[in-house]
Amino acid sequence: MMSEQDAVRSLYKRLLAFYPRVFREQLAESMEQTFNDLCNEKRQAKQGLLGFVAWAFIETAIGIFREHLLLISPGDIMQTILKTLGSPTLISLLLVLPFMIMEVVNRRNFNEDFPFVLFFVLWLNLFAISLILLPIVRGRRTGNHDMANPVPTQRNTLLTNPRSVLMISVVLILSVVILSLLDSLGWVPLERLLNGPNPEQLYVFRVRVPSQFIALVLFSLPIAAGVVAGMPIVRTLRAGGSLFAHPFHLIIVVVISFLFAAGVVSMLVDQWPCFIGVPNCD
Amino acid sequence: MTTVDHLPLTPAVFHILLALSSGERHGYGIMKQVEADSQGKVTMGPGTLYGSLKRMLDAGLVKESDKRVDPEMDDERRIYYQITGVGAQALAAELERYKHIVTLAKDRKLLPKTFAYDV
Repeated sequence: MMSEQDAVRSLYKRLLAFYPRVFREQLAESMEQTFNDLCNEKRQAKQGLLGFVAWAFIETAIGIFREHLLLISPGDIMQTILKTLGSPTLISLLLVLPFMIMEVVNRRNFNEDFPFVLFFVLWLNLFAISLILLPIVRGRRTGNHDMANPVPTQRNTLLTNPRSVLMISVVLILSVVILSLLDSLGWVPLERLLNGPNPEQLYVFRVRVPSQFIALVLFSLPIAAGVVAGMPIVRTLRAGGSLFAHPFHLIIVVVISFLFAAGVVSMLVDQWPCFIGVPNCD
Repeated sequence: MTTVDHLPLTPAVFHILLALSSGERHGYGIMKQVEADSQGKVTMGPGTLYGSLKRMLDAGLVKESDKRVDPEMDDERRIYYQITGVGAQALAAELERYKHIVTLAKDRKLLPKTFAYDV
């Protein structure tokens, strides 16, 4: 029978498999040995394994995440993130701005509150669309279209392998779909999760802080799914490949973008009377 | 890449170089030496240690030595790591930087024994 320590070692070995291939080939064996040495040290000192194992697994998981990030953006990570988020933020803000101006100019009653939440949600939808689609548009424009040099060999990692990328985005979409389904069946009180057990007490300056945070996290799942699914498409386009080289990824990108676009259109249609100053609109 | 390009060293890289300055060590040996050098104040996990080692190997600060058995441990063969010439230079330059900071702190009476109110 497998002892507790053997089970932990086996689990740790499996965790190490998530490191990028180059890293794994060079250092995984040493890491495993070091982990085993640390386990032996705890055993000889007759200290509990649980605390150490939890710490080692979390610390290694963070290391795995860091190595994948460094592989995607070998330069300054912060600069890459800012560069990626900058344009979508600005574009979506510029698209929302005319409606904000219309709302201000055509306000019926200056005592009523400015609908910041409405514009934030509108901006978030537009931000999601541009974050997903902008890299694809850029990839298409910068692609060398040199068929003599097709898609270059990729370093095979979780975020560069088209299959694992597809799986990650499907899992992200499914998590939202399953949550919504369970909610509609009354199994998960999503409404309660968003509003809290006592919504009245959660208001801080009229903002339900914890619920808004949960809502943002839920909202970010399909955005992440779209961005992740778009990554192989962008790489293929940059290498001069076809937009349709990854049809399943493209379907996910199109469907998610369409859903966000539908959200924008429905909000604009619903709020249009308010934007143009129709009396008694809500 | 020159020595200056590596400076300032991250605390993890600094402690690993310091641990390897006294001889070749395997991963667990580095961890224990770092713990001893820092009087138990720095505890490095496997993720941090090997992440730093990877970058140090790529930068030429350390190199893999031969694979052999540690006589004080089990009979498993382990990869040993050793500091390179570039690594030793980077460590010396970083220590020089620390020395300059300590001198500066002394001049400004920031060290515990030189606090203005102690005099």
